[in-house]
Order: sequence, then C-alpha cells, then structure tokens
Amino acid sequence: MDDAIPATGLNWRRASIAGAVALPIIALLAFGMTRDPGEITSPLPGKMAPDFALEVFAQGEPGQERMVGDTVRLSEMRGQVVVLNFWGSWCLECRREHQALTNVASEYATKGVKFFGVLYNDQPSTALRWIQEMGGQSYPSVNDPRTRTSIDYGIYGAPETFFIAKNGVVAYKHIGALTEAIMIQKLDSLIAAPSS
Amino acid sequence: MTRLIGANALIVALGVTVVGLLLVTFGARRQRAEWVEAGYSATYLQFALVTAATFAMIFGLVSHDFSIDYVAQVGSRATPLYYTVISLWGALEGSILFWGWVLSLLTALVVFWNRDRGGKLIPYTTATLLGVGIFFQILLVGPAHPFGLVSPVPLDGPGPNPLLQNHWLMGIHPPLLYLGYVGMTVPFAFAMGAMAAGEVGDTGWIRLSRRWLLGAWAFLTAAIIAGMWWSYEVLGWGGYWAWDPVENASFMPWLTATAFLHSVMVQERRGLLKLWNLNLIVATFVLTILGTFLTRSGVLTSVHAFTEGNIGYYFLVAIAIVLLLSFVLVAGNSEKLTSDGQLEGTASRGSVFLLNNLFLTAFTFTVLVGTLFPLVAEAVRGVKVSVGEPFFNRMTVPICVALLFLMGVGPALPWKAADRATIRRKLLPPAIGSGVALLVALFAGTRDVFALLAFMFAAFALVANVGEFVEGARLRMQQRGESAPLALSELVNANRRRYGGYVAHLGVVAVAAAITAASTFKTEYEGTIKKGESLKIGENMAVRLDEVWGREEPQRAVIGTTLTLLKNGREIATLDPRMNFYPTSQQPVPTPAVRSRPTGDIYVNLQAFQQDGSNATLRVIVEPLVPWIWLGGMIICCGALISMLPVPGAARVRAAARAESAERAPGATTPVTAS
Amino acid sequence: MSSTSRKAATLTIAGVIVAAAFGYMMFGGLESNVVYFLTPAELVARGEGVYDRAVRLGGQVAPGSVQWDANALDLKFRVREGTHEVVVHSKGAPPQMFRDGMGVVVEGKYVRAANGQSVFESKNLMIKHSEEYRAPKDGQMPQEMYKSLIKGVSS
Repeated sequence: MDDAIPATGLNWRRASIAGAVALPIIALLAFGMTRDPGEITSPLPGKMAPDFALEVFAQGEPGQERMVGDTVRLSEMRGQVVVLNFWGSWCLECRREHQALTNVASEYATKGVKFFGVLYNDQPSTALRWIQEMGGQSYPSVNDPRTRTSIDYGIYGAPETFFIAKNGVVAYKHIGALTEAIMIQKLDSLIAAPSS
Repeated sequence: MTRLIGANALIVALGVTVVGLLLVTFGARRQRAEWVEAGYSATYLQFALVTAATFAMIFGLVSHDFSIDYVAQVGSRATPLYYTVISLWGALEGSILFWGWVLSLLTALVVFWNRDRGGKLIPYTTATLLGVGIFFQILLVGPAHPFGLVSPVPLDGPGPNPLLQNHWLMGIHPPLLYLGYVGMTVPFAFAMGAMAAGEVGDTGWIRLSRRWLLGAWAFLTAAIIAGMWWSYEVLGWGGYWAWDPVENASFMPWLTATAFLHSVMVQERRGLLKLWNLNLIVATFVLTILGTFLTRSGVLTSVHAFTEGNIGYYFLVAIAIVLLLSFVLVAGNSEKLTSDGQLEGTASRGSVFLLNNLFLTAFTFTVLVGTLFPLVAEAVRGVKVSVGEPFFNRMTVPICVALLFLMGVGPALPWKAADRATIRRKLLPPAIGSGVALLVALFAGTRDVFALLAFMFAAFALVANVGEFVEGARLRMQQRGESAPLALSELVNANRRRYGGYVAHLGVVAVAAAITAASTFKTEYEGTIKKGESLKIGENMAVRLDEVWGREEPQRAVIGTTLTLLKNGREIATLDPRMNFYPTSQQPVPTPAVRSRPTGDIYVNLQAFQQDGSNATLRVIVEPLVPWIWLGGMIICCGALISMLPVPGAARVRAAARAESAERAPGATTPVTAS
Repeated sequence: MSSTSRKAATLTIAGVIVAAAFGYMMFGGLESNVVYFLTPAELVARGEGVYDRAVRLGGQVAPGSVQWDANALDLKFRVREGTHEVVVHSKGAPPQMFRDGMGVVVEGKYVRAANGQSVFESKNLMIKHSEEYRAPKDGQMPQEMYKSLIKGVSS
C-alpha cells in the first residue's frame, strides 16, 4: 500500500522471483472468495412449499386486500403465483425493499400474483405503526405469532422472500433486500410457466 | 445533522490523506522540505477528521439517531448505555471506522514524535501509514460506509449481536485487538520507509520501531488473553481456545512479533539476521491483514466472524498489493542485508535465540497451514474439510514444550560462548526445579509425557528467570551495600529492557503451567437434577438446585438457576448460571457461573431447563489454575511495559552501556549506540 | 572464507533436513487429523474407510427419531438428508433449542456397534439455523419456553 518506490538499488531478479511466489497465495485467497463456507445450502427450492394458516393483521390496499382476521391458507392459492415476504419492523433491510415490494405487488396483482407479508418475530401493533410510517403496504400481511411458519420455511433472518410457483413448489428463495428488477424477472418467468 | 458531520468528515479525510501521501512522497523524492512538512500536517488533519467522524458515530449511537444506517443496524433503545457505546465495534462498518480512527491516531503520533529526528526514512514511513489509511478510508466512504441515510427513520433498532452484548469483556477485547493489529503497522511502515530511503542496512529503523513493536505486542497479548477469557465466560463450553480461524488470525502475528523481539537482539549485538528480521516485521503486518481478510470476507467459517457484502474484494486487492509490494521490496533489497558479524559458540544466548526463532517460525507455519488447509483442500481436491484440534495440538504442543525449555536456557547463558563451569552453575538450580516439578506432577497423577515435560520446563524457566533477578540483586547488595528491595528495583531500572523481558517470561510460565494443568486435570460432571436435589462434584463437593427462575429485561429475557455450592455438606457459595434469550437470536446465549479461586475454577453452565421450573440440566467443569492464564497475561503485559519505559535523559545511554558491558562479550562486533 | 562457506553449507543442509522432517510430520498430521464434512449419503457411500475417524456430519434430525433419556443423559436420533439416514448417539444434554426436524451438524466418529448396526458417536452437537426445519410441537418455541417461567416463578 506504499507507493514510494526506492530510487536505486533494487535487485529486480530477486524481486521478480519473490513477486512470483506471492501470486499463488493471492490466487488461493481469490478462490476463497468464490465459495461460501456456509456448508449445506437450503434444500427448500424445488420442493413443495409448506402449507400454513395465518391470520391477517394488515389488510393491504384495494385490489389486493384481505379482511383483518381472515385466515390465509397457502393451499387455497394453488394455481396462482405467490410471493411470501418475511419481515419485521426492527429489520433495516426490510425498509430498503419495502417500496419495491409495494410497487411490484400492485403491478402484478392484476396478473394473478398474490403477495403476502409474513410478520417475523414482531408484534402486529408495532408492525402496523411501521406500515403507516412507511406510507402503506399495498399487499396484506399475516402474523406468525409463534414463528412456526417461519421455522417451516427455515427463516434465518429478515427479510427473506419466497417465490412459489403455480404448482406450489418453491421456485426461488431470496435472502436480503429485493429489487424491482429481480422480482419482475422471477415473476414473469413464473407467470409464463404452465400450472401443472 | 450528526450523520452529515460524520459522512462529510470521512469524505474530506480521504481527500486529505491522498494529498498528504502525495506531498510526503514527492517532497521526499524531490527534496522539498516544505512539501514534506505540509504532508506531516495533513496527518494531524486526517486524525482530527476521523476523530470527528468517530465521535459523531458515538453520539449517534448514544442519542439513538436511527437515521444513521449503522445505528439502525446495531442500536436499540433497550440496550444499556455501556453496550450501546461499545456497539461502535459491534458490526462491520463500525469496527472499520474504529480501526481507521486508531490508525489515524498512531499515524499522527509517529509523525509528532519523529518528524524532527529519524532522518530520511520518516517521510516514506508516513507515506506507508497514509497508504494504509487510504485503504480504510476508501472502505469507509464505499462498501463499509457507516453513515448511510435510513428513510423513513425507524423508531427503534434490533440492538447489537447478542454475543457482543452479553459480557463486559467485549468492551475490552476488540479495542485491545485493534491497537495490537494497527500497532503492527507502525514497525512495518518504518521498515518500508527504510527500504524506500535506502537505509535498510542500518539499525536506525529498528531502533525507531522497537517501542512501537513492544507496545503493539503488549496490546496483542492482552487482546488474545482477553479473547480467551471472553470465550470462556460467554460461550459456555468451559474452554478458552479452539484453534478457530479468528483466534489463529490474532495468534500468528503474535508469534512472528515475539520471534522478532528476540532475534532483533541478535542483530543489535552481532550484526546478524538483518534480512530475517526485516522478513519477520513484514510477515507480522501481512499476517494481521491476512487475518482480517480471512475473518471479514466470509472465506472461512468462525463463531466470531462478522462478514458480508463485497468488502472482501477490497481486502483481496489490498492484500495482493501488500504481498506483492513487500515481497518485491524485501527481495530486491536483500543484497544490502548481509551479516557483518557471527555467533560465538553453540552454548551462547545468541544460538538460543536462533533456536527460539526456528521454533516460533515453525509454530507460525503450522498454524498458517492448519488455518488455510480447508481452502487448499477444496481448491485442489474439491472436498470440504476442517482441520481439527488434534492436528494443532499434536503439532504445537512439542513446540511449546521446547520453547518453554529455551525460555529457561536463554537467560541463563551469556552472549559469549559459555564454559562448562558457568553452564553447570547456571543450569543446576533450574534443573533441580524441574526435577521437583516432575515429582509433584507424577504424584498428582499426570501421566501424559508432554504434560510432564511442560510442567518440568515451566519450572525450569521459572527458576532460571527468577534466578536472574536473585543473582543480579545479590551482586548489587554485595558490591554497593544496597538493601534487597532497593537492589532489586535498581537492577530492573538499570536495564529495563532485559528485566522486563524476564518478567514477561514469568507471565508466559504462568500461562503455560495453567493451561497444562487445566487441560490435564479438568473434570466434567453433567446431570439433570430436580429442585432441592444435588449434583455431586468429585469427592466432597456438590451443587444443589434451589430454584429455576425467569425475568424480563428491556433487551432480553433471562432464565436462571440459583445453585448452592456445597463442600462436605457445608454451603460455601451461591452460583447463578443463566441463559439469555434475545429477540434477534433463535438460540439462547449462555452466561455460565464461574467461582474463581487461585487454585482453580468451578464452572457451571445451564444446559437446559424444564419449562415448569421443576428441574434443570447442568454441566459442571472443575478446571484447576485457570485464573493464572488471565493473571499470566497481565504479567506479560507488565513485562512489556517495563521494557518500554525509557530511562530518563542521557543517563540511559550510559546506564545501558554500563549494565550490559558487565555481561557483554569482549569481542562484541556491533555495539549498540543510541542517537 | 572457505570455512564460513562450508559452515553455511552445513547449516543449509541441516536446515533442509529439519524443514523436510517438519514438513513430513505436518502433512502426515494433516492427513490423519483432517475432519471431513459429509452428508449422510456421503458417509454411507464412503464404506470401510470412514469408520473410526473424525467426521462432521450435517443434515436434518429425522422427525420422530429423538430418544432422550434425561436421567442417563443419553441422546439418540437419526440424521437425515434425502432418503439417507444415519443413527447418531451422544452423551450429554442437547442444546436447549434442539428438536425434531431441525438442521444439525454433529462432530464425532462413525463406529460399528455390537449388533452390527453402525452408529455415529457424537462428541459435539451444533444446531444449524440456515436450514429449514419442521414446525415444533406446541410449547416448544423459544418464547414459550421462558414465558411460562417468568409468569410462574417470582424471581
């Protein structure tokens, strides 16, 4: 990190040999960057999404709304593309992706895609305040009071988002904040696929 | 407001640092003193700006300003003040900010103390430090920017990582570690400066680096010991060292720095090992950066790692630059580093130092191979492996035993070749000491060969190092008629560097003996007991379960047990191991209860409990001498401190010369002169 | 001159011998002490070579397979991945959050038991959170575990 090069007296032959020795070490470290030491990957994508029955606490906006207190079951939505976003008001990344989720959800509501927020490790009252503060949420959110569904889905932290195909199989799992581009790409391919 | 101050201070700091680097470099090349001076001033400005950013962050944390990205990430209104302040280093961005701040502080101090002396190499030294500073500041304005805007502003945050807000030691360990790591940059910068200025053949840079290196070494020692203590007190498994990549990362530079502290004396006395010493300094710095890279980039798994993002790529580029540049510079300068002296005789202190370096290097290499092997195995053979504790223990225990032995032999031998009579006189008491230790250890039931050797050589080193104090003080008492305490303190004062070293040796003996005893005589008891029942511990002790209780705290819920420790049926202590449930973590964080006595610890961890509070599963570990590990660490640091203290005024040159000539070989080839 | 260069040569040769011996010891040590990370399928597929050496086994706790004897502190369960299962035995209490269906990594050795069935003897049991795992039975959620205590017992 020092860019001061001595004016005189460097033995370049030795220097270049030493430089050549450094390269494999750097290559090894660079290889290390390409892998994830997190051992086993989640086997969920490609399998049936676990069913759930959760109560709505935030109704969402017209076009997508569900009554507060309604029970949402995944099994009732077979044949439709479903997006489940696990979030909490304490989670910073959830703020980042919130606007994108709300926009895409409204846009795709007409194309038969159902968005649901699933509240993870949080109280509905604080979550409602959060939604208000964020300027609303276009899709409904359900509460997961004992984080049981979150455990079914193997939630590690929030936000995590699951894209479920028409046949009920988890097509894609996203960890961390989503962008509109990713959602649009995934959803378009899921809508195009036939419901088997 | 706070956010803007912090964010802008960091941007301006980056600019100032770049300008400062250009000024000192080109000023030195073109011999423009006023450019160099301006560059020096830039280091002060850089320090002021990074300080402003750091204080802005602390203020943001304390005032719960959740508009700041980092505060929203680690802050929470429920977190107690102490943990709120120390969450400055609780996640990636904050720790980089803190790191950058320490670096800017040390850079300013190096300039302040050396700008008017030290000669040609100081501008290049400053340039190196600023170069490293630029790296951290690029991180801070780029991938690890802590002052990002959160909008709309959250009402509350999740709080820091549960493992970090569970024990007060987390307020001590990271700053010590950063001071140690960053401190190692300074000797490296002196070495690079000397190479750039063409002065690497002189001892000037070594003299300038000595105190810095000792200071950094002391901080690193303290950090490693504090880290062991933390893992003992928080992780709940009763151990303190697991050869985890993060632990190894802090241990490797410690080993090379320790080797340097010894081998540099050979260079000063005998004009040998110049190239070797340069390599050790460079290796120490490279290992600190490598360790940081391994643990921050998600390359290796570790309980301690906090990872993420693309920051790893920045580190990769930085490490590539550091490796290439330092390898090329050292090799290119190697011709200037020929030895101009030689060792006298095999049985001399100099050759013990050589052996010490050999073993310390082998030690470092073993740890490095063990740490990187999983990466190599996956790259070459595509298998996922981890290198277990057995490998490290099998390889390093013999090395440790040998080092303990050398630690006793070295101080006893003179620099010149020792004759048989001297060797016999000097080594007899330590040998008797190790014989006694062997008998005691055998009697206590030690059967493992290496444990027996470790106890023997620990006693050997103990007697040999204490003997140096006794002999020196006795000489003074005879020659000058001083009282014993006066003679002892004057002895140390007259040659602080040497006797500070011996004090550090005593600390190492304490740590080594304690670790050997704790691992040899450790006994574990586990059981599920009902309320009112007792779990027997050994012959005459037991713990009784009095109650299982729970309480809600603002940031967490705590489940605890109240236990009574019984000895021969008599109640001697109350213990309360707990389990803490944090909302952001699915797994509880344990708080084991530890009853410490100089003879050892009784360590109780709550493993599980029945929900109705009727019973609990406890693990009790009896570990002899464990507190001596922490105490030994403190003794080592005291020794380093004694070695660092300057002898006031010009007296120091004369005093050092006098004290050393008493023992110095007649044919010393390169006498040390202080400028 | 010649004596110094001879000395240097001797030193170099000695150094090479020491380094070679050390290197041999180290890589020999690595071969026998490396811990492989395997899934149940890989463990079974490895056959004879896998017995009695340190392995880390990763997978899910097979639902319904947990047998826990609190008095003897004896734990038995099966680790599953896909259709492959391995019986795991361990001494000592499992972590508080341990239950059916969750992701675990166990460290230990695969040994042949007396009845011919092989058992994985675990020394260390770690929970993995990034796995998805099944719904726990009622009353086993973290919050529930301590809530009843906080209400029920005065501290």
